[in-house]
Amino acid sequence: MIAVILRRLGLSIPVLFGVLVFGFLLLQMVPGDPAIVLAGPTAPPDVVEEIRRSMGLDQPLLVQFWMYLERVLVGDLGRSMISNKPVIEELLTAIVPTIELMFACLIWSIPLGIAMGTVAAMRRGSLVDRAVMALSVAGISLPVFFISLILIQAFGVSLRLFPFVGRGGPLWTLDGLSHIFLPALSLGMVFIGPVARMTRSSVLEVLELDHVRTARAKGLPERTVVFRHGLRNALIPVVTLVGLQTGYLLGGAVVTETIYSWPGIGRLAVGGILSSDFTIAQGCILAMAVTFIAINLIVDLLYSVLDPRVNR
Amino acid sequence: MMMKRHRRLMTATLAAAVTLTFGTLAMAQDVKISRRIDSNNYDPHKTTATAAAEVLFMLADTLVTIDYDMQTLHPGLAKSWDVSADGLTYTFHLRDDVKFCGGKSMTAEDVAYSFKRWIDPATKSPVAWRAGEVESITATDPTTLQYKLKKPYSELLYQLTQSFAVVIDKESVDKLGPDFGVKGMNATGPFCWGEWAPRDKMVLTRNDAYTWGPEIYANKGPAKVDGVTWSIIGEENTLTAALMTGQTDVSNYVPPIALQQFESMPGFVTSKSQSARYTYFVGFKLDKPTVSDLAVRQAINYAVDRVALVQDQLYGTVEPAYTYITEDTLDWNKDVDKTLIKDFDPEKAKSLLDEAGWKVGSDGIREKDGVKLAPVLYSFNGAWINIMQQVQAELLKIGVNLQIQTFDATVVWGKLATQEYDMFTMGYPYFSAGDAMNLYFRSGNTPAPNRTNWKDPETDALLVAGSAATSEAERAKDFGKVLYKVHEAVNWLPLYHTPIIIVQSDKLKPLKAHPIYGAAYYKGLDLEFTE
Repeated sequence: MIAVILRRLGLSIPVLFGVLVFGFLLLQMVPGDPAIVLAGPTAPPDVVEEIRRSMGLDQPLLVQFWMYLERVLVGDLGRSMISNKPVIEELLTAIVPTIELMFACLIWSIPLGIAMGTVAAMRRGSLVDRAVMALSVAGISLPVFFISLILIQAFGVSLRLFPFVGRGGPLWTLDGLSHIFLPALSLGMVFIGPVARMTRSSVLEVLELDHVRTARAKGLPERTVVFRHGLRNALIPVVTLVGLQTGYLLGGAVVTETIYSWPGIGRLAVGGILSSDFTIAQGCILAMAVTFIAINLIVDLLYSVLDPRVNR
Repeated sequence: MMMKRHRRLMTATLAAAVTLTFGTLAMAQDVKISRRIDSNNYDPHKTTATAAAEVLFMLADTLVTIDYDMQTLHPGLAKSWDVSADGLTYTFHLRDDVKFCGGKSMTAEDVAYSFKRWIDPATKSPVAWRAGEVESITATDPTTLQYKLKKPYSELLYQLTQSFAVVIDKESVDKLGPDFGVKGMNATGPFCWGEWAPRDKMVLTRNDAYTWGPEIYANKGPAKVDGVTWSIIGEENTLTAALMTGQTDVSNYVPPIALQQFESMPGFVTSKSQSARYTYFVGFKLDKPTVSDLAVRQAINYAVDRVALVQDQLYGTVEPAYTYITEDTLDWNKDVDKTLIKDFDPEKAKSLLDEAGWKVGSDGIREKDGVKLAPVLYSFNGAWINIMQQVQAELLKIGVNLQIQTFDATVVWGKLATQEYDMFTMGYPYFSAGDAMNLYFRSGNTPAPNRTNWKDPETDALLVAGSAATSEAERAKDFGKVLYKVHEAVNWLPLYHTPIIIVQSDKLKPLKAHPIYGAAYYKGLDLEFTE
């Protein structure tokens, strides 16, 4: 197991370096000028030039990248060009709400998606199966911003059941829970679809296998056959999908966090990019990449727990 | 046993409910204000953002304050002031009862420090020029400040009402270093710095010692609410819904489409500022082959129906504009009325273009000497797109093919500082004719903010003379002449003036919007719950 972790961590290093280079170059290609943004539209050109010089933006690209790399290697992501707050501080403040949101989304959507997929597989061709598949397609097809606006209108404005602005209190308080309900529901809606579909096809496939037939031949009840002998094997591709989808959730969180004013890393990234705050944007790209790599590592480890053949 | 456990559970639930309820009640005296964007920082000398001014006016005070009419000056931290006959020396007599949030008394030394930091080249303030050409700033005694200029600056007192000219505590600047205006600031305003979470919220707490509010408020302090929380809600539909459902108490960033709805909705009050000090316009680059022709600029002004534009695009919530500043602005020149193009007259536009030799080509677009009348317009993404498409449709009817290119906020300012385009869009706040004219028509300000490339020695001379005038009449005459010149030359197509429109819950007593720099709530001393 340790060897697997070390191997995976070793593979992560070039990926991270690539992310650093890519993130840096991507933001260089954006034609915005942070010096102009910082100076304001009415500032005279000499003030803009002075600000550009003081920020090191007049240096050659390679020099700027080297300076950036040196800082990152010692854990210094710089200060926000706009607010002057240390980037690491901003990231640490923003990552907690994002993790909360992802957790709140996954905690209900994964079990529900798996349950829906399993039921659909057990009742293949029935009305229930068709309904589950229709819901899955809807979840996959509807963009998260649309789902969010519909939920705000229904639960926030019409029924006035849940707040939809900001984070509220800590997650263990009623205030915190009520604030996270709608964002987690919106994000989860797009998550259920793929999980349910993958579970359904995977369960259907497993139920055709020899060991399942043997279990049935022994006279075990169908529920035991499906849950004990079918589902565990069927979950392997689902875990892979969940891992990948969880990574993509970070992208969905950008939209969800913007609509719900959720102070997470997605909103920080959007704010950083829109205000030409290069250091913040670079920090967010790096943080998202690290999160993505971490999620993949966890998935790989889960994989080896579920299927010991992976370690061989 | 079971009963006991149930009882314990019920007690705990009740306690939690009571805590939550009282927690909510305790917070109920905080006013929640929502807006779309945050400021980059809250250092008064390092930002030009309206979002910063909104908060800074509550956190800090100026020596001079200004009325809702944006013309009448009132005492602020200065009880009174004298101006020398040559207009070079301003002597401010300060209040002796003012305290910083930290408890320290404010003296003339603090004011001198604040102003010196503002103009210090090391501060790199983008607004240092607003302080005039300073000879010296001296605290002659604890309550007297002498502000000496190298040459007269007729608008100094008005500049000193702005958020750049607030008084800050030196100790706070030294202690916080680069974090000043980021992690805190100590000043003398009706509210004190609580906590800033960038792009999320700014929390201000009441300054209980505050009793030196400006004359325009019935309440001179302390504030009637415990605090103010400025929340950022970037998505306009969410902001509208948050206001409807009471998740925010007040906002002046409600989209035009929702304003009419709020006007007829029970539980809400909408109010407009007495006057508008924010104007949106299309500017012409005067040295470009197409729009360098006065006839083209006049024709474009005749061809755009601004009343319809305001109704169609902004639901009648703003005023159609024919002038570059509103006519009730300080130093407006009534003679300018003679130069204004107020009529919507496409036929006149066509005849002007015909007379100027712009002939309609086979494709319906006019041309002259091989040049197509197809000016390129640079603009912003967002609401500008629909507005400019309406203008584009109207111009097409007179044979002008307006080519619109829009850019994101990150890019647009850089693009607008180039000479690549023929026309551009812009919206700007101002407080006087001199403020607006100096910004946009001084030749030294090309390529930005003077994006029209208007380079006229007489204008420059008048702007210098107006700024150096020692009497109000003289100043108004000089700036008035500039106003006349630039309107007569049809440098812009003015589109609309926007007053500040506040939508508030009726849980709050009715607020009066202040037009200063777009900071609708100004000092926030009229924020008060009805219950």
